[in-house]
Amino acid sequence: MRLLGFGILKGMAVTLENFVRSYFDRDRRHHLFTKEYAWEPGAPAEVLPARADTTVTAHSRNFPILLHDGADPMGGIRCVACQICERECPPQCIYIEKDYDEQGKYIKRPAIFDIDLSVCMSCQICVEVCPFDAIVMDSQFELSTANRFGGLLQHRDQLLKSNEYYHRIHPEEARARDDRMAQEKAEKEAKQAAADAAKKKAAEAKAAAEIAAEKSKPEPSAPTAGGAA
Amino acid sequence: MIEGVAFYILSTVAVLGALLAVSRRNLVHGVFALLLFFAALSGLFVMLMADYVAAVQVLVYVGAVGILQLFAIMLTEHVTGDDLRRLGARGWFWGLMLAVALPVVLLLPPLLNGEPPVPPAAPQSTARQLGSQLMEHYVVPLEVLALLLTGALIGAVAVAHGPEKDPPGKDRPA
Amino acid sequence: MTQTLLNLLAIAVPLAVGFASLFAFTTWLERKILARIQNRIGPNRISLPFTRFRRLFGLIQPAADGLKMLAKEDIVPRDADKLLHLLAPILSLVPPMMVLCLLPLELPYATAGMRALQAAALDNAVLLFFAITSLNTLAVFMAGWASRNKYSLLGGMRAVAQMVSYEIPLVLSAAVVIMAAGGMNAQAIVEAQRAQWFIFTPWGLAAFLIFFIASLAETNRSPFDLPEAESEIIAGYFTEYSGFKFALFFLGEYLAIFAVSGLAVTLFLGGGAGPWVAAYPALSCVWFLAKIFALIFVMIWLRGTLPRLRVDQLMGFAWKFLLPLSLLNLFVAAAALKLAKPWLSWPVGALVLYGAAVALSRSHRADAAPRTYSYAE
Repeated sequence: MRLLGFGILKGMAVTLENFVRSYFDRDRRHHLFTKEYAWEPGAPAEVLPARADTTVTAHSRNFPILLHDGADPMGGIRCVACQICERECPPQCIYIEKDYDEQGKYIKRPAIFDIDLSVCMSCQICVEVCPFDAIVMDSQFELSTANRFGGLLQHRDQLLKSNEYYHRIHPEEARARDDRMAQEKAEKEAKQAAADAAKKKAAEAKAAAEIAAEKSKPEPSAPTAGGAA
Repeated sequence: MIEGVAFYILSTVAVLGALLAVSRRNLVHGVFALLLFFAALSGLFVMLMADYVAAVQVLVYVGAVGILQLFAIMLTEHVTGDDLRRLGARGWFWGLMLAVALPVVLLLPPLLNGEPPVPPAAPQSTARQLGSQLMEHYVVPLEVLALLLTGALIGAVAVAHGPEKDPPGKDRPA
Repeated sequence: MTQTLLNLLAIAVPLAVGFASLFAFTTWLERKILARIQNRIGPNRISLPFTRFRRLFGLIQPAADGLKMLAKEDIVPRDADKLLHLLAPILSLVPPMMVLCLLPLELPYATAGMRALQAAALDNAVLLFFAITSLNTLAVFMAGWASRNKYSLLGGMRAVAQMVSYEIPLVLSAAVVIMAAGGMNAQAIVEAQRAQWFIFTPWGLAAFLIFFIASLAETNRSPFDLPEAESEIIAGYFTEYSGFKFALFFLGEYLAIFAVSGLAVTLFLGGGAGPWVAAYPALSCVWFLAKIFALIFVMIWLRGTLPRLRVDQLMGFAWKFLLPLSLLNLFVAAAALKLAKPWLSWPVGALVLYGAAVALSRSHRADAAPRTYSYAE
């Protein structure tokens, strides 16, 4: 049974731990994000914030990006344009159009995938609802543009980033996600294999039964529809 | 001496507040003036050594009745307060007559007796006394009042409830 | 009479000045604690002028803030109701200032004459406390209405609805203590807790929790800070205030927090009681303030933990959860006080109250389920 008010106490324990350990703990998880007097001349190099890929820490989250596997962005795009994130987005900053080939057949990828960063509130709900692990949060924060109208409207090709990039900015999270995806895939395959095996077995049994039936009835069987199923 | 000065200040504020309350055209100003009157009145209660009644005056009239009036005004079209229309009532004559008649009626018995009323000695613990009086001597009227108020409350809920609406949380399609 | 006046000043001036400077300290404390919860450092830049002291943990920050507030332009909107716009910040400061005198704070230098003048000795101190704090609602409404700004008005109306709703559980949970102490005299209530603080009884603990939650809502503290929700309605009722008027609102808000925490300490935490008070009576004041600051720390801690409630959750919580629970608590307390076997009060009282709380929270849980999708094939 869930205890009443237990969730609040749990949350308070987390914040209290942060509060206390910010004074004593020097490891990565609890260190202070603000570097004191980092701008002063002669400050040691490790005090200055790292600018490579503009990732400040592994915890920072800014705006969503799309992921692709492999080197070719459109070849390995994970998004299938299912539009769940578009529907779930609270400020409705995502716009998606599905892609179709010449015959008008839906191919599983977006023709248009726009995110309006001036509207996005960085809630990360799109990441949570995505069943294909196609959308994750970036930590890029230097996004200012000279173009006031539309400059912050990011298109599909700007949003597409490789899985390696994701591993670089959020290593722990990316590893966990990859592990989970691999596990899910293995489970799915196992299930598929089991289903195939069962199907095969059923077909064999049926065939055996039909043979047995034919053997028990010497006269030619009437054309029944039962066998077709 | 201090008592005299305090009495005149409080009375002036009370009268001013009452006058403003009936004369201001802006409804919200009127309510705030009325609240000023209530506050001054509770000061007068303190001077009568009735601190319990004074506290209740503030709690009930300033805290609850005033807020209720403001809330009611906010639910009407007079939210901005600059509506200059006025009811064409001609009741000012009768109102004035009533205002003059009331003190006369209240002061008549002592005037006829020829001596001013003597204030009774201030009781020590007014809250305790009031409580025991309510619970022992006036328990039946108290219960009747409570029943009446409960009935009014239920009636208000029934009036305000209206027809059934869709339960919350189902306004977005899945 | 001169002596009386002097005595009055000797009580009132230290209270006003002392709590105003504690306000400055508390703003610094709040910013520091919140910063540490969020793995930041918080204010640490302001140095003492003309000295080589660099940091002092940023303790000079409130002085700089105050100076900034004083130097700012006082902006009054063109369409605002000028008089009420001016009166609102003043009115928001007066009630908390008044009720601070009702706390049974034993000033270390007080003579018998001063003590007699302290309002805590009044027979109806607790009732007066609630009466005067209810005036705060008016100030908030006045500010919201006089600003002629839709955000201000929305904030004002939210504040009024919230404060009126939460005042009922607040008063009902305090009524339990009045019942146990047999009076509304603040000093008598502290006296009645000499043997055992009221928080160490089942009904007292429940009443304290209800009181604390309701007082968070009364003082517009997070998670009940809807009237001044920055992300929703800018700053609510004081959107249109700048400079020193804004500072007055700020001061009034923190003084209200001191006052309501002080009342919680009086009602449930034994007032100025604590170790070594018998030997050094001056410590009583220190313990009282220490308990107030312990409560304020919890308030800041909660602010760093919980997100803001929705309006319907806010109202539902007051009327459907806190109100029935505090009514039930009245009965539990009455039974516990008249119980023949006092040792029974803990198991039975805790069981009844906790069971009722669980049942209430179950019966009002929103019927929200995770949404399901049919994926594109």
